[in-house]
Amino acid sequence: MRWRLIKTEPDASMKQVDDAFNEDLADSVLVTKLQDLVAWSRAHSIWPFNFGLSCCYVEMATAITPRHDIARFGSEIMRATPRQADLLIVTGTVFRKMGPVLQHLYDQLLAPRWVISMGSCSNSGGMYDVYSVVQGVDKFLPVDVYVPGCPPRPEALLQGLILLQEAVEKDRRPLAWVVDETGGAERIAKPNQRDLRTPERMAVTQLAQPTTVGDAPLSGELLSSTRSDRREK
Amino acid sequence: MSELADQSATDTGVAMQLKAQFGTDCLFQPTVDGIPTFWVSKDRLLPVMSFLKNQIKRPYPLLLDLSAIDERLREHREGQPDADFTAFYHLMSLERNEDVRIKVALSDADNRLPSLTPVWQSANWYEREAFDMFGIVFDDHPNLRRILTPPLWEGHPLRKEHPARATEMDPFKMTPEFQQAQQEDLRFVPEEWGMNREAKHTDFMFLNLGPNHPSVHGVFRVALQLDGEVVIDAVPDIGYHHRAAEKMGERQSWHTFIPYTDRIDYLGGVMNNLPYVMAIEQMAGIEVPPRAQVIRIMLAELFRISSHLIFYGTFVQDVGQMSPVFYMFADRERLFSIIEAITGGRMHPSWFRIGGVCQDLPAGWDAMVRDFIDYMPKRLAEYERMSMQNSILKRRTIGIGQYDTAEALDWGVTGPGLRATGCDWDLRKKRPYGGYDQFEFDVPIAHNGDCYDRCRVRVDEIHESLRIVRQCLDNMPGGDYKALHPQTTPPPKERTMEDIETLIQHFLNVSWGPVIPPSECTMAIEATKGINSYYLISDGGTMSYRTRIRTPSFPHLQMIPLISNGFLIADLIAILASIDFVMADVDR
Ligand code: SF4
Repeated sequence: MRWRLIKTEPDASMKQVDDAFNEDLADSVLVTKLQDLVAWSRAHSIWPFNFGLSCCYVEMATAITPRHDIARFGSEIMRATPRQADLLIVTGTVFRKMGPVLQHLYDQLLAPRWVISMGSCSNSGGMYDVYSVVQGVDKFLPVDVYVPGCPPRPEALLQGLILLQEAVEKDRRPLAWVVDETGGAERIAKPNQRDLRTPERMAVTQLAQPTTVGDAPLSGELLSSTRSDRREK
Repeated sequence: MSELADQSATDTGVAMQLKAQFGTDCLFQPTVDGIPTFWVSKDRLLPVMSFLKNQIKRPYPLLLDLSAIDERLREHREGQPDADFTAFYHLMSLERNEDVRIKVALSDADNRLPSLTPVWQSANWYEREAFDMFGIVFDDHPNLRRILTPPLWEGHPLRKEHPARATEMDPFKMTPEFQQAQQEDLRFVPEEWGMNREAKHTDFMFLNLGPNHPSVHGVFRVALQLDGEVVIDAVPDIGYHHRAAEKMGERQSWHTFIPYTDRIDYLGGVMNNLPYVMAIEQMAGIEVPPRAQVIRIMLAELFRISSHLIFYGTFVQDVGQMSPVFYMFADRERLFSIIEAITGGRMHPSWFRIGGVCQDLPAGWDAMVRDFIDYMPKRLAEYERMSMQNSILKRRTIGIGQYDTAEALDWGVTGPGLRATGCDWDLRKKRPYGGYDQFEFDVPIAHNGDCYDRCRVRVDEIHESLRIVRQCLDNMPGGDYKALHPQTTPPPKERTMEDIETLIQHFLNVSWGPVIPPSECTMAIEATKGINSYYLISDGGTMSYRTRIRTPSFPHLQMIPLISNGFLIADLIAILASIDFVMADVDR
């Protein structure tokens, strides 16, 4: 969002008083357009619906727990009812028997609402091209972000969430008392991440060897060292 | 055939006893797993089963499995009676430490069988599943209806003519009418389940819990008949997580099915690979080298710890403690860093192979494992104080959802749920498979069979698993991490450059996959949630002819009404949590 600090044009004689005043001001006041502020707040308080289908749900739950801590992105408030949620994360296999239920739940989400499809199953059916599985949730729901993986790591889900936030933050919702059924939200753009990231990925020339365990610190070391030691490292 | 039967089955005892009771016509079928297998006629089924359960000396109280086989395309059935379909029943005796398998031949025209529910109540769901999957009709079944597929489904998926792939069928379309019809069909009608809407002094309320509810641990639904807040009766409804793993087994090669096994009990990781690869190894006659065995046991036990940690955390969360689950997930992350360093994966490493494991352990694994097993006991001690000794938790769970050993066996309960009733039935001890006989560990038990005890047993099991892992760490044998047998997958690549035979084997194994000789084999293990077994039938091909997966959670859910009726809804939540199920392990 664009924002700027208030610029007062003080009298020269008031200068000294004003310096202190300005400093306070800089800490506490910001000026922006209302719709920018709304977009910014919306992007950083996307509340997911507590909805799980399958194995991927466990990785989504892991994203809430300390090491990944989805609260850093304002999305830790899992709502048990779709009516209070903004985001549906379709975590796992979309079963034919579950499809109508899922549709029903989606219909109850209030606009503006977004859908993240998490995991290969939900993206495309994944490894389950089989009679009881819908070949991707986008066969009946609009999807905003696809997170690949089987299951995606929690970090991947967080990345998906950040992509969604970036898109939501750019979206300007008309601020009227009456909103249409989209809630004024535009469908977000879905640039192909593979293409965007290919140069960066191709630049990697050294991959970790599977014959060693890598250099993750052991918990014993972590627990015995103090926080400042670690920071120095 | 029958002479052969007499010879090889006499020493098992059960053949003699069956013969003494019923005359000679129990046809014996040899199988590679050595489980005595008898064919009985349809009209003899009930008497034979009730004899095996009730009258025989040292009886078979546990109905481990019940399903069917579509025999119509099978080529190798030497010595077996003609059949279009075969229903099979797998019984287990704790006293004998033996199993028996009973088979009944059915024709397509007359695929009716008497229901086993008068003998075993737990047969109820198994028969519904066999009906759903094969169209076999069980006479006098209390409520024979579909269980895994949606009510409006057409056809019976495990029949060979039913399409396997979604892409062979019409594309899925969600029209409002379709959604309406499906939703309407899921409406719970109490009368269909023999329930009254009112009693003398009260009108009952019917509450639908699930299939998406934060406390049902997945896509599971249970319809409740309530008097105020008291559960009068409950009807669990499953099938929302049916991923057709058994059908999948018929189209993946023996090797490429391994990743699907990981996703059966999706908290159990490589533990799921174990019974599957061990069954194939038995069929192909592969000896697994000691190093591979110990690596397998170590990883399986690490996953047992991981699964039990999730259970522990969610269980105490469901009865009201919010914090522990966060600590336990943090521990699980530490554990996963080991799994990741060794296998490269987290939840679904699919890392076991037919004949061994995927690769050797990476340099530095031992420091990580040691670090974890040194760290964990302190944490567990903390959780013990925080949760297990917590007086609120105790009051919420002691005496709730209780059952005894006899009930447990009657309903097919295995694993910690059985051991919480004072029965020390653990296959790792009783039938040490895959090298467990080399390890020192105890089988934790508890005696009340209530929610608290089910948690107690699992917590103690974490300690035992840590003990086993430490022994793996201290005594890791050297040598190969997979067998040199030609059927091992993937075959040892290094040797392909040395002799043409291995090169050919390598080529065939990689392009088609191994060919397993025609045979049948069941392999059962003590998985995280109870007994998990794979019953594989090879017709001499590169794919399984029939893959039957017996999972522990399926019968456990069936028991819910028995143990929750009369309790409050809040207690039901504690009971559900204490069962420790995952829906993939129920619906497969
Ligand atoms: S994508 Fe993989 S991990 Fe996720 S639900 Fe599907 S099978 Fe499970």
